Amino acid sequence: MFKIEVFTKEKFKNSKGELVLSDILSIGVRTILKVRYSPLYVIDGNVNYSEVRTLASELLSDKITETYVCKKCIVEDTVKNSKRDVVFFDDGEIPPPVGVCSTIKIWYKKNVTDPVSESILKAIKDLGIVKEFKVKRVGKYYLYGKISRITLHNITAKLLVNTLIQEYMVNGIYS
Amino acid sequence: MEYTANCKIIEILELSDEKLIELSNKSVLSLSFEEMKKIQGYFRKLKRNPTDVEIETIAQTWSEHCKHKTLTGVVDYTELIPLKKGSFDKLPVSSRNKIEFLKDDKDYVQYEKKERTYNNLLEETIFKATKELNKKWCLSVFKDNAGVIEFDSENAVAFKVETHNHPSALEPYGGAATGVGGVIRDILGVGLGAKPLANTDVFCFGDPNISDSKVPYGIHHPKRIAKGVVAGVRDYGNRMGIPIVNGAVYFDDGYVANPLVYCGTMGILPKNKIEKKVIFGDLILLVGGRTGRDGIHGATFSSVKLDKKSDVNAVQIGNPIVEKKVLDAMLEARDLNLFRAVTDCGAGGLSSAIGELGEKIGARICLDKVPLKYFGLSPWEIWISEAQERMIFAVPLGKKDKIIEIFKRENVEATVVGEFTNDNRLVVLYDNNIVANLDMEFLHNGVPKPVRSAIHKIKEEKIQESIKMNYLEISQTLKVLLADLNVCSREWIIRQYDHEVQGQTIVKPLQGNCIEISGPSDAAVIFPYTIIKDTKKGIVLSNGFNPEYGKINVYKMACSSIEEALRNAVSVGGNIEKISLLDNFCWGNTNSPEVLGSLVCVANACYDMSKAFDVPFISGKDSLHNEYSTSDGKYSIPPALLISAMGVIDDVANTVTMSFKNTGNKIFLLGVTRNELGASVLAKIKNIRIGIVPAVYPNESKEIMKKIYLAINENVVESCHDCSEGGLAVAISEMAFSAKKGVQIYVDSVKTETNMLTMSETLFSESNGRFIVEVTHENETKFREVLKGSIFSEIGCVTDDENIIFESEKNKLKLQENSQDLLKIWQSTINW
Repeated sequence: MFKIEVFTKEKFKNSKGELVLSDILSIGVRTILKVRYSPLYVIDGNVNYSEVRTLASELLSDKITETYVCKKCIVEDTVKNSKRDVVFFDDGEIPPPVGVCSTIKIWYKKNVTDPVSESILKAIKDLGIVKEFKVKRVGKYYLYGKISRITLHNITAKLLVNTLIQEYMVNGIYS
Repeated sequence: MEYTANCKIIEILELSDEKLIELSNKSVLSLSFEEMKKIQGYFRKLKRNPTDVEIETIAQTWSEHCKHKTLTGVVDYTELIPLKKGSFDKLPVSSRNKIEFLKDDKDYVQYEKKERTYNNLLEETIFKATKELNKKWCLSVFKDNAGVIEFDSENAVAFKVETHNHPSALEPYGGAATGVGGVIRDILGVGLGAKPLANTDVFCFGDPNISDSKVPYGIHHPKRIAKGVVAGVRDYGNRMGIPIVNGAVYFDDGYVANPLVYCGTMGILPKNKIEKKVIFGDLILLVGGRTGRDGIHGATFSSVKLDKKSDVNAVQIGNPIVEKKVLDAMLEARDLNLFRAVTDCGAGGLSSAIGELGEKIGARICLDKVPLKYFGLSPWEIWISEAQERMIFAVPLGKKDKIIEIFKRENVEATVVGEFTNDNRLVVLYDNNIVANLDMEFLHNGVPKPVRSAIHKIKEEKIQESIKMNYLEISQTLKVLLADLNVCSREWIIRQYDHEVQGQTIVKPLQGNCIEISGPSDAAVIFPYTIIKDTKKGIVLSNGFNPEYGKINVYKMACSSIEEALRNAVSVGGNIEKISLLDNFCWGNTNSPEVLGSLVCVANACYDMSKAFDVPFISGKDSLHNEYSTSDGKYSIPPALLISAMGVIDDVANTVTMSFKNTGNKIFLLGVTRNELGASVLAKIKNIRIGIVPAVYPNESKEIMKKIYLAINENVVESCHDCSEGGLAVAISEMAFSAKKGVQIYVDSVKTETNMLTMSETLFSESNGRFIVEVTHENETKFREVLKGSIFSEIGCVTDDENIIFESEKNKLKLQENSQDLLKIWQSTINW
């Protein structure tokens, strides 16, 4: 299993992050100074590192405005048997950028249609990588500034996640 | 009948009445006691219990969403009309027993009681008007997925507006996106398929500034819903390559828990592709997305009131890229005559789509042939799943390979899942075992007709105390009105939509000088020149919507919505003699006689206005039970009737927009201004609870609409805008600031019903039937000739100094505002 995280380069506008920051300000939270959004793709299947790099550079990121980090993860049996569809653990965790105070990860629950992941699977086949694997898309939000646990929970619940169809982690802890 | 382990037998033959109801509620079947009894009786005759597939099939087919049981059911209606003081004594003695004394606010009021039983409310009101008007250019009305009217000798245009309220309340982005996707598929499934040319959207949200503590537990904040809904509509519409050209947004706290999301699509198709017919032996071809658990119980869920435990499975997420590929491939297949019928999989999924296509002959389906997103689905889940982007085709055996090849070329999955038969039975198989075997007649015509009581008490309207303001107060009021949520600019929403894609949008949603300086267009005009070569014709799309009026008078609300939709269409060059209407009812719980009563009253208003304006309804939809439960009680939405209008115009060159064009041009106001401020925006902001709600005077305004069309086609109109929310002052301001012009208005020149109106009443009255028209000096004589016989007056002129001036010698008042300052106020409210 591999993870590919795509980062907007610092000198470019991170539109989704800015929108979230504006939403955070609109609910009266003034201590968050910056929000960056990064899509994270979990590639689960019989793929090698070279193929993952091809996916990251040719399909999932834009060479001019974005960079990416690929990381191989070891899936333990206990994790394989987990009921959760996406599993994060320390081995495969991509370190957050410097200055980040909180990280929120959100993904669709099992069996909820994820059209982006479906399109990625199709595009991977179009790239000539014809193998059986799964792709899961995760949204990662990096928050910069000071924030209490309660406020962080409020931001997540009120602005970012719909628990009816999504699961999430705040600072590495499943919620 | 043998069953697999995946298929459950539902024991209902011996169930008590109480247990029948319990089963309906527990399984989200949304079936009434009478319906459950009917089902029990059917299976008692068969001497067997139903399978889960059969029970679910019946529940979907009989759902309010699919069968419209309330609007087509029997209604015992009572209307209570307030008597004017002293009129009781003048009544004949025989009529006096129909008078009731009821407490209204503080006093007892005499009401005349009128009673009527409707055997089919829709057929006796809205359908009836269309039937009686009998327009030859109405080609397919109230029978297919959309209404269809003639475009030219060879082509027709179809229009459908749907609602996706409950899913959007739970998951705003996915709910709204699939609302758009669903209505696009309606257009793909009308006749043998129409090419979508434009989308429309109308939303109702709670106040986006409401405090968190006032939002019921488990409900998203209105601002979050609004943002999610807009993003959902944007992403689906833009990715499908269909412009979103017309819409409205209405804010009211009554929609905090139940937002309304109306999505419309207009498309074009050849006239010889309007009819569809399925025949024995045709293959059932399932095309498009794979089937998962998405949207299980969507059809029955739409009849369930929302609460914090609402079902996750009712949520659907769409994939517009798949639908776009289906669209492209199916139009190619249509033009090669490769199928005989098509319909979309909407509410009720395969159950509904195949059940409807095979209604008159029968169908046999193998569920194990349905391509799945993942393993583990039970047969009933496959059968009623509302997974998106799926269409069902009836394909002659000999054309199977060719049509599958066309879909394959576009990377669209197409699978034969069964065939249409001639035994009038719906037979569903899974793993070679029959899991459902139902009589089509029972399935489609077996639903018992409920008899409901409805009562509607018409409120007595009284003129409010005279509203007098000095120039400072008028100035302040105008600014508050322009910034009001229901008047202010929708630019933040509109700019997210691609309203230009396909390159055929002639009149766009924002009008004015440039991107930064714009005003609200009254309607959209589409010029389908890429589809029909050398045509000059165009299609006008508009809407009318004002739930606020319904808080006092639902009849006038409906009449005003119809007139507003027509006014908007006429303002850009629409021809009232070639306009058709769509109705979309969103109501609260119609099990309440009062709620149902207001719906009956509105259906009557639709009939009256359709006849009076000589404009037919061609399609419609209802979304009932928009109610939310909390521990404090149940909350129904304010009744909302959306009227959408579609018209064909002969020459798109003869269209006009709303922003002023040139300095020195004269400004005319057409129509009468009355003391009609009941439920107006002014009344809302000033907290005035009484007043006369604007009425519609069809004879008066129909003539004006006809003459405006003539004047526009004589090329004597430079700009035209209708007066609606906020009245004359707001409409004039919009025309001026969008042009970066000034304007001088002599308020005393406005034709009013009486001379008793104050300046503020004249400026902010929301009387219907009024248009502001800009005319050059050269064309004035011609314009006056065309308008001869109608009520109109010259009220001012366009100036170059960017000052908006309203002046009244009679009231000795002069108001002067900078047009660009007003523009900024208008633009600043929704800028998220």
